[in-house]
Amino acid sequence: MEVRTIVEECLELWRDPYPRLARLGEEGERPVGVFCSYTPEEILHAAGLTPVRLMGAVRAITHADAHLQAYCCSLARTDLDMALAGELSFLEGAVFVQTCDTMMRLSDIWRRNTGFSYHGDLVLPIRMGEEVSLPFLIEEVKRFRRGVEGFLGREIGDDALEESIRVYNRNRRLADRLYRLRASRPGAIDGLSATACLVAGFWMRREKHNELLHGLLEDLEGSEPIGGDGKLPLLVSGSVCTTPDLFELLLELGADVVDDDLCCGHRYFDAFVDESAPPEEALAKRMWERVNCPAKHQCIEDRFQRLVRQVGDSGAKGVVFYLQSFCEPHLFDIPYLRQCLQEELEVPSLVLESELQSFSRGQLRTRLQAFIETISGV
Amino acid sequence: MSEDVRELTEEEKADKERRKIKSAGAMRELMTKYYIEAKGAEGTKRHIAWITSGAPVEPLIAFDVIPVYPENHGAMCGAAHMNVELCEVAEGRGFSRDLCSYARGDIGSAITRGGPIGGLPRPTFLVACNNICNTVFKWYEELARFFDVPLFIFDTPFVRGELPEHLAAYSVRQMHEYVSFLEKMTRKEYDDARFVDVAAKSLFASALWKEVLACNEHRPAPMTCFDAFILMAPIVTLRGTQEVVDFYQGVLEEMKRRIEEGIGILPSERYRLLWDNIPVWYEMRNLGRLFMELETCLVADTYTSAWTFEGVDAEKPLESMARIYTEVYLNINLERMADKIESLATRFGVDGMIMHSNRSCKPYSLGQYDLAKEFTRRTGKPALIIEADHTDSRWYDRAQVETRIRDFVENLLGSGL
Ligand code: SF4
Ligand code: SF4
Repeated sequence: MEVRTIVEECLELWRDPYPRLARLGEEGERPVGVFCSYTPEEILHAAGLTPVRLMGAVRAITHADAHLQAYCCSLARTDLDMALAGELSFLEGAVFVQTCDTMMRLSDIWRRNTGFSYHGDLVLPIRMGEEVSLPFLIEEVKRFRRGVEGFLGREIGDDALEESIRVYNRNRRLADRLYRLRASRPGAIDGLSATACLVAGFWMRREKHNELLHGLLEDLEGSEPIGGDGKLPLLVSGSVCTTPDLFELLLELGADVVDDDLCCGHRYFDAFVDESAPPEEALAKRMWERVNCPAKHQCIEDRFQRLVRQVGDSGAKGVVFYLQSFCEPHLFDIPYLRQCLQEELEVPSLVLESELQSFSRGQLRTRLQAFIETISGV
Repeated sequence: MSEDVRELTEEEKADKERRKIKSAGAMRELMTKYYIEAKGAEGTKRHIAWITSGAPVEPLIAFDVIPVYPENHGAMCGAAHMNVELCEVAEGRGFSRDLCSYARGDIGSAITRGGPIGGLPRPTFLVACNNICNTVFKWYEELARFFDVPLFIFDTPFVRGELPEHLAAYSVRQMHEYVSFLEKMTRKEYDDARFVDVAAKSLFASALWKEVLACNEHRPAPMTCFDAFILMAPIVTLRGTQEVVDFYQGVLEEMKRRIEEGIGILPSERYRLLWDNIPVWYEMRNLGRLFMELETCLVADTYTSAWTFEGVDAEKPLESMARIYTEVYLNINLERMADKIESLATRFGVDGMIMHSNRSCKPYSLGQYDLAKEFTRRTGKPALIIEADHTDSRWYDRAQVETRIRDFVENLLGSGL
């Protein structure tokens, strides 16, 4: 398939994955919703289920307000709203990874008020990367696997799990290759297209996504850059981008995202699962040593050091923080990260808060435009 | 509503005096002494640790470290109507207005040394336990950067249903690590006998506290939970010391005497309610007046009972404490929370519940709508949810809240529903 066509299809999925998800069942797949990049998707995949990412939706809240206060992030609110409205009935259930206080309560609220046949919980330590927490995490992964097996009514074979681990590792390698290509050959693919091709994988079986990425890379690596030079390089940091609007607007305004620190981007595919170790241990170990999310305490300097390295390596001239209103883990880091960027790199940054129920592309555009103008000195 | 400006008659004055809780004076003395000692220790050889309210403090006491509680200080700043200006300092540095106002106020106070006691003494190290929320470790990471001091994190993952063994084991491993951390910080060796003694005192004080709270099962209630919010300061900050044991012995005696003499905290008690969530610190006086006028006593709450620990094994204090600290009220699933609420409602014979939907505190507030429904389903009693913030009064609409409380008491309870 042509690069343009692949990108267009991925973009369409990103704009609204739900119609596509609703058809997965007809194709014989059994989708399970996941919210968090810490979900051990390999276990679900090995069980014959298809993990699909729920990243909220731009919509007015009609049902969730009876269960969640307005001071809760709009990812939780819009996801719950869709579930309560019956719009997620194609799912067999969902997995709740307890990263933040909101997710921990959302799990109970979801379980009590929806009728899905499967409900998975995975409780994580916050002291990732420290010896003391690893045994706990391994047991949690085992418990999670038993939960899935209980739902299936049969065991998940180790060989199946090992195969799924290989599939997901391949996916990580391909994603990494895509990001490297984007960095090493400016203009080969823009940030919007690269990210679209990555996130599209959240809504399809991973083998398919591997084929897609492989085809895309073969084409890109063998062809001439398709333009996009001369754009102002920026880095986006935050949680998830529910829609491609931010990336689209940046392109329109003469900027391009050259790297990211997003939960639906670079942080998603960081680190591999050791294929030679016992599977649960290997899965736990990867979560434990991958780049940590702001909801984890790994080591205080970690996020900042990584961000500085990424900004330096990518040559980004500015950082756009894109996060959910009311999201404590992300909001807490902002002053420190911004200060460090300014003091150590003299890189300016902009903070954008997303509230999906009152999303305004026009407002987003104005703020981005002003930011870009400040950097370019217009 | 005009405030109560009428002069009280001699008789009313005497009655008011009779109903006053005398232990409040002893409490103020105890806390003043504590803060003077803590502030005086700054710059000396004594170690000062800032610690979260749900963290195990007993090891600190056993190592002669002075524990300092930003949350208690935050409550104080809130009650003194000084937290908003401190929050604004933090907001000026880029901290979002949507973050917990204890955290914002504390960061503001660390920067400016503002607040009713001129800020808290500088810590030599920090201890945070996420059993109450995940805000605290982000907040303490910021403090660690600000003061450039070590931070120990006691990580207590969320407990769903029964406490699983691998989680208990994780807590126990960290309890040992915590002790090693303290050995390193203080250059002292762990003394098991000392720890057992501190743990026993902590346990004893917490048992006394539990008895104090239980006195409110009596009608009329000898105190309201607003009094309990004040009287709980020592159990939060200083449990494990002899003074605290003595103090709660005194409080318990006073409560028992009140019961014997039939002294209620309100001149008349028609309704009894349960309170959920942290107090609205800056509004305690006004709300207290309103409830008195409505002849409604807040007899129990989900907050103060968080410091009543059960099941400490004196033979293995470290291990059993590790488990207890992992299973506190805010670290369990909604069904287990509903069980606790139901048991409080039954024991204290309440007519309904008021839930403070606290903008600052997500673990306490998200899920309240479901808990309110569950409470009514299980007990047949109504629940009211009011919107506020525990120390950021900018989010508070007094007129609206008071009207809602009035309607709730007069219409719902008054009609016998
Ligand atoms: S956006 Fe923030 S608050 Fe919302 S679920 Fe994610 S981490 Fe939690
Ligand atoms: S008020 Fe809530 S969010 Fe704030 S420190 Fe306390 S438990 Fe955490």
